[in-house]
Amino acid sequence: MKSNSKLLIAVFTAAILVVSFVAMPWMTQAGMGKVAVVLDVGGRGDLSFNDMGFKGTDEAAADFGLQMVEIQSASASDYLPNVRTAARSGQFDLIIAVGFLLTDAVATVAKEFPKQKFMIIDMVVDLPNVMSIVFNENEGSALVGALAAMVAAHYGYPNVGAVLGIEIPVLYHFEAGFRFGIDWGNKRYKEIMGRDADVGLLYTYTGTFSDIAKGKAATEAMLAQGAGLVYNVAGPLGIGDLQAIAEHLNRKGKKAGPPFMIGVDANQDWMGDGHRVLASMLKRVDNGCYNAVKAVVDGNFKGGIVVMGLKTKGVAMSKAGDLDTFMEFGIGAGEITGKDKSTIKKNWTEMRSDIPRSIWNALDDLERAIVSGRIIVPTANTLEEMQAVRARYPLTK
Amino acid sequence: MAGRGSVFWGRTEELRKTVIAGIIGFAVGAVIIFLYGYSPVTAFGALFSGAFGDLYSISESLANAVPLILTALTFAIGFRGGMFNIGAEGQLYLGALAAVTVTLFRLPSAVSFALSLIFAALAGAIWSLPVALLKATRGVHEVISTIMLNWISHFLSFYLIAKILVDPLRGEKTVSIAEGSRFALLVPGTSLSYSLIISIVLAIVIFILLWRTVIGFDIRAMGHNELAATYAGIVKWKIILFVFISGGVTAGIAGAVHVMGRPPTYAVYSGMPAINGLGFEGLAVAMIGRNHPIGIIFAALFFGGLLAGGRTMQIFAQVPLEMVRVVEGIVVLFLAIPELMRLFPFLNKLKTSNLFKARASE
Repeated sequence: MKSNSKLLIAVFTAAILVVSFVAMPWMTQAGMGKVAVVLDVGGRGDLSFNDMGFKGTDEAAADFGLQMVEIQSASASDYLPNVRTAARSGQFDLIIAVGFLLTDAVATVAKEFPKQKFMIIDMVVDLPNVMSIVFNENEGSALVGALAAMVAAHYGYPNVGAVLGIEIPVLYHFEAGFRFGIDWGNKRYKEIMGRDADVGLLYTYTGTFSDIAKGKAATEAMLAQGAGLVYNVAGPLGIGDLQAIAEHLNRKGKKAGPPFMIGVDANQDWMGDGHRVLASMLKRVDNGCYNAVKAVVDGNFKGGIVVMGLKTKGVAMSKAGDLDTFMEFGIGAGEITGKDKSTIKKNWTEMRSDIPRSIWNALDDLERAIVSGRIIVPTANTLEEMQAVRARYPLTK
Repeated sequence: MAGRGSVFWGRTEELRKTVIAGIIGFAVGAVIIFLYGYSPVTAFGALFSGAFGDLYSISESLANAVPLILTALTFAIGFRGGMFNIGAEGQLYLGALAAVTVTLFRLPSAVSFALSLIFAALAGAIWSLPVALLKATRGVHEVISTIMLNWISHFLSFYLIAKILVDPLRGEKTVSIAEGSRFALLVPGTSLSYSLIISIVLAIVIFILLWRTVIGFDIRAMGHNELAATYAGIVKWKIILFVFISGGVTAGIAGAVHVMGRPPTYAVYSGMPAINGLGFEGLAVAMIGRNHPIGIIFAALFFGGLLAGGRTMQIFAQVPLEMVRVVEGIVVLFLAIPELMRLFPFLNKLKTSNLFKARASE
């Protein structure tokens, strides 16, 4: 027995030795810049912030000849030590923190290492060595709001809906922009079609960003009141919203919308076989990461708040090109397979081409007007400001 | 002093088994790392330097060990009494939330600090009470009842975090523990706070309790042979009650020390991504530590080191987190084998287990 165990140990030790010498580490190239991207517990495959943050940083690293190091977080307890270990090493030209969950970690470490450059997405950390990238969600929401109103009117629906998460100031940006967009869409629809649109808004703050059943219940109630499109402003709750829409369509023996969902943050158009999500309001986390890396490379990195809107491609309404990128994320996460791609693309193209050209042209007008500054989309950061926007665009039937 | 020697001095046989198990675990891990195209030398170099390479690394490893020592104690107390208590997970959630709740009352710092710990211990104990009562009066097996109570605690905690304890300015987390009622950092610039002392003191207390008191003797007697213990006059329901309540206390405090002692947020996030799993990881730590309080301290330090070193393996050897966790899992599994074989004697019949068989002299 004893010799047996000794033999086993010897074999394993030998294995380690052989293995280690055969596989010499590919050392990091000297002089090559390095950028770290710290993800939250959602991690790769979240089809949203983390996937986009990875993609944007990866592309920037490739374009500028940098090495990217991805740092995943297994637990929320890892946020601080992940950021701190990266900062302590002094190897990284920039440390990117993807998402507001890393706020406290970045705030703590940025103070300890004032010479280290940081970037945080979607939250403000007020320190001179931290670039805080936030988005004009109101501008993107205005676009999808106008789309929703005109499409609802086109298909004869009296309402559109918005299923929101916890009532926090960030979500007011979405609601304010969406209200403005619906109002704009109603007016423009009358101009181009000669008929009154008068589409109303149904909205619910569900109080959660995780309870998918609440998204489903809220969407069901809205569909029952004649909502033709439902804007998901609560991340994962979109899964529930989409279930409600699919069941609603099933009862009518249909598969394709209307009613449609409007996705948020990431491009969610490919969900629902490509013909139940009409469009998505994208927060281009990838562009934010790319720009931050570029700023470091160009030597014009500055701490402070960087607001990215329609003009700077921080927010956008989903287009055909984005669909392919996000379908790849979906395949990577095992949500869809490569075989589904062509079907989804075909369904999506049909869905969009069923909507009159004049509506898409109107949206292009709105986008140009916002980008050029001719139209300023209202926003809100407090309940009072939100109530003022609600009073200005009541949108009740 | 021969009796004392058998407690934990001179346990070379146990140590030998652990070292062999560890070597094999790391060797298998090395092969897997190699097969996936990474260098085991770079990877394990990063792992060990990140775990124990300098004061910063050791502090991070110890910080990870703090709650694990306590949840491992929960399991070990039960195990010594012949019970399989896997309820630490649910009790830990409520311990953490009890500590947060005390903060809401805005008491003087010192009072708030003490009450947070006391209420966390109480919350853990109360949550383990149904398990003890169901077992003592109805013979319900503790594995069933603790799994059920873990889930009830899980959803109750979700409710409490979202509705009662939520931070009005930041909906993703509860209110934070007031600054004066947190554990101060033991090593500044790291995650390690004075909460370490609580864990180590409690481990020693549990050791004394199990090996130096009458009730401890009764618990271990019950664990060795329930029939004989009962025949000798040990009252079973008293042992059950004692085991689960003391286990609940350590699990509850585990939650409290994490939320009061781990920077930077000092709050529980919605979805509990920071404390989720600490109860079950404690079970693994108890297995590696041979269900002995002193063994558990070292096992928790080792486990905490794996977690800290996993980080540097990711950052400096660029081994993806998924692979890091596979390797960690393999090492832990191998280290648990000797104790698993004691738990499930049929494993001894397998041929591969020769390596771990006790010598005749033991």
